[in-house]
Amino acid sequence: MRAWLLLLGGMLVWAVHFFLLYALASLWGSAAPARIGTGLVTAACLAANAGILLLCVRTAKTHDAETVIGWPARLGAPVAALSLVSVAWQGLPALLV
Amino acid sequence: MSSAPIAAGGKGSPGARSETGFDPELYRRFPTKEERPEGELAELERVWQAPRGWRLLTAVNNNYIGTFYVGAAFLFFLLAGILALVMRVQLALPLQGVLPQETYNQFFTMHGTVMMFLFAVPAVEALGVLLLPQMLAARDLPFPRLSAYAFWAYLVGGLCFFASLFFGLAPNGGWFMYPPLTSTAFSPGINADFWLLGIGFIEISAIAGAIEIIVGVLKTRAPGMTLARMPIFAWAMLVFAGMIIIAFPAVIFGTLALELERALNWPFFDPTRGGDPLLWQHLFWFFGHPEVYIIFLPAAGLVSMMVSSLAKTPLVGYRLIVLALVATGFISFGVWAHHMFAVGMPRLSIGFFSAASMAVSVPAGIQVFSWIATLSTGKPSHNVPTLFVVGGLVIFVMGGLTGVMVAMVPFDWQAHDSYFIVAHLHYVLIGGMVFPLFATFYFWAPMMSRRPLSERLGKWVFWLMFAGMHLTFLPMHLTGLMGMPRRVWTYLPERDWEITNLLSTAGAFVLGAGILLFLVDIARNFRFTTGDTAGNVYGGGTLEWLPNGLYAARSIPVVTSRDPLWDQPGISEDVEEGRYFLPGTATGHRETLITSPLNAEPQFLQIMPGPSVWPLFSAIFTAGFFLLLTVQAYTIGVVSGVLAILCVLRWLWETDRVVEPARVDIGAGIQVPTYVTGGSTHGWWAMVVLLIVILMIFLMALFSYLYLYGIHGRVWVSPPATFWLAPVLAGYGGATGLALLARRLLARETSTLWSPATNLIFAAGTLALGWAVDLHSWRASGLSPESSGQGATVYGLVAHQGMVVFVALLYAVYIAARNSRGLVSRPRNTSFDLATMFIAYCGVQGSVGALVVRLFPGVV
Repeated sequence: MRAWLLLLGGMLVWAVHFFLLYALASLWGSAAPARIGTGLVTAACLAANAGILLLCVRTAKTHDAETVIGWPARLGAPVAALSLVSVAWQGLPALLV
Repeated sequence: MSSAPIAAGGKGSPGARSETGFDPELYRRFPTKEERPEGELAELERVWQAPRGWRLLTAVNNNYIGTFYVGAAFLFFLLAGILALVMRVQLALPLQGVLPQETYNQFFTMHGTVMMFLFAVPAVEALGVLLLPQMLAARDLPFPRLSAYAFWAYLVGGLCFFASLFFGLAPNGGWFMYPPLTSTAFSPGINADFWLLGIGFIEISAIAGAIEIIVGVLKTRAPGMTLARMPIFAWAMLVFAGMIIIAFPAVIFGTLALELERALNWPFFDPTRGGDPLLWQHLFWFFGHPEVYIIFLPAAGLVSMMVSSLAKTPLVGYRLIVLALVATGFISFGVWAHHMFAVGMPRLSIGFFSAASMAVSVPAGIQVFSWIATLSTGKPSHNVPTLFVVGGLVIFVMGGLTGVMVAMVPFDWQAHDSYFIVAHLHYVLIGGMVFPLFATFYFWAPMMSRRPLSERLGKWVFWLMFAGMHLTFLPMHLTGLMGMPRRVWTYLPERDWEITNLLSTAGAFVLGAGILLFLVDIARNFRFTTGDTAGNVYGGGTLEWLPNGLYAARSIPVVTSRDPLWDQPGISEDVEEGRYFLPGTATGHRETLITSPLNAEPQFLQIMPGPSVWPLFSAIFTAGFFLLLTVQAYTIGVVSGVLAILCVLRWLWETDRVVEPARVDIGAGIQVPTYVTGGSTHGWWAMVVLLIVILMIFLMALFSYLYLYGIHGRVWVSPPATFWLAPVLAGYGGATGLALLARRLLARETSTLWSPATNLIFAAGTLALGWAVDLHSWRASGLSPESSGQGATVYGLVAHQGMVVFVALLYAVYIAARNSRGLVSRPRNTSFDLATMFIAYCGVQGSVGALVVRLFPGVV
């Protein structure tokens, strides 16, 4: 399970972030609560993603690619990095639109 | 020689190299040196022999089922293509009279539906069935009868569905069937029902295939084939199947809801009674947009495999491609509402979906750059697969660019529902799926044919298709920008649409000529065989190019590289001489090696079922059930449904048997068990995936409930009194508890053989009781399903729960019957475990559903 979480953790955070944003916009449209909520959720998800990225990098440093979690951590790091950028990108409409 | 796998420094400990306790050092024993016993190969061939003559219909070997499946998908591609040609003739000039308006509506609906549901998804699933066992060096996928069932249900149902066109009964509301156009007010005939029920068996078939593929990729890989060494196609199919599991339930619930509205007047989508037509669009596109990637990802996986072989160099950026596949699998679920930019959503929502629509192009771009890098660093030959790969790449990139254009909301508002969109989607789908598929035909045909396809004819096929495709769809962008809406059966002269339409029609026939020439090539050169194939014509490095038979590879190799045939000298000879795992049959049955999901370490030997007529009969009656309901032959339809269930039970009866001996040598003195239970079994994984499907349908029903409350909450009535919750929750919770207790009883030596199974029947009975009280309380409250959107969604949830309760009852009786025949092994049994899981899940789902619709709105 740990290996799968390292591998998919970044994208799971992205999914949680996206569906929370959808829920916020559905509940409050484009009003202030939706924008503030978007900001808070985005900040929390960015922090979660940064944590996963850090964990993946540290695991990859201490486990070679042949170990059970070595390769999933090596893949999980760029997944989390991509997710980090995607979450930030996804949150931008609350500031710009 | 050791008699059991040796632990390797602690399972799961930091730095552990073993996932299960298996010592990877044991792999060093291979290839073995000793001579193989005489008659071993002949026995293997006997066990895996396929039936002959008319009994071939009962075959379950992936070589046959996969080939039939690909052939059937291609047949539907041709049929839908013919419809397209006739439509193009109609549109070649203004005011043409080739097709009447109603027939034209049926043609474009069937063209889209058949291409998406009967060609694209089944074709890639078929390629999974055909190629994956060989690529993973498995004897077969873990549920061969399920593959056979999926294929026959699809073929029988698909042909009947297509035949509706000949009777003027084909659906005519477009492939996405928006209400209110498809509600009874505007579509009173049974045409729309054909779509709604006809898609039912295709959904079942797709999900059956997805379960097979997920479990197959995770549990039947060759030893040593860790996640890091998995062929990219296996990664793509894993993501593809995962997406089907998440996406298809949305359209399953949507089609059920629309059919319930049409047949029983439950107003899910009727705004005058608290429903909403946009709910359909949300449900449909939550499936519909990922569907594009469901089609594209396997094709991208095939391209990744081919560019590496064709350029004769390892794939550049393997890990980045896996990253792209995984990222696409997730992000594609965040773009469904970009099909709805024109319906009037909150600005912020539109912003989120627009951002996700642009973001999803990043992983697609990663793959494209990786392919270009691989081709530029290697030495690609000028052959037909290379042409189709490169041509597809060009077309897909062009489609991707217009995709980014329509992801921008102001542009989308202008281009929406115009021919620009038709051009865009054809560029994406033809470049992303059709051209890679043709490359696949040329590249992998030698794996199952005595002769490869013709290079000379193939180049003609490519250039005709490539030129025809651009001639058809490039002018279509202009037609759209000049304002021609899609789905019109004709147009007036002097609107400046004549020239571009005529060019598109000419291009369609050039494209058709290319496909016709491909059929000539197939007829001249494709000669199906499972033995003396043309072999590895293009020099691929993965395991499907090992010498193969109906049993796949003679022995299952230890994999130490992503391209074993390039990096492990002598592997083909050693495999063929039986110097790796499972060189013969260890139990005298069909069997394959089950390995662990991360590191592919040997765990146990799975006994595989052989040829059977029951999957075929089950499929015929399943398709019959849906189609007979469509033509309103209710009695025969229900009889067909009951027969389908009986056939499935009969087929299952022969499975999950304990065989002797309990442990067998699978090569080099390594022994594994022949029967295990619990989380390592393929059955457990399949049940988990199935429960995720049921959970997703449940979540879609809950989403519909909350969505309609958000739109029409003011007119909702109070739920039944809160005290009703007590018996409902007691029933559902008690069922879960009793099921878990039954599982514990089975493990106790002191309990009699009957008590665990009896307990399971009590559990299912309690579940049914809870459901009956649930239903009664709603009926007593005065809310009817016809009265409002609230009634429709509440009863929709209750009906969904009723369906799983019915299956739970059936399951409990089935287990009791097995128990009475001594087929439930002790202290643990896989069938029993799975029934326990299912009933326990049903109890939890029922409780959650009851709590939500009774407490929200109201208490919460």
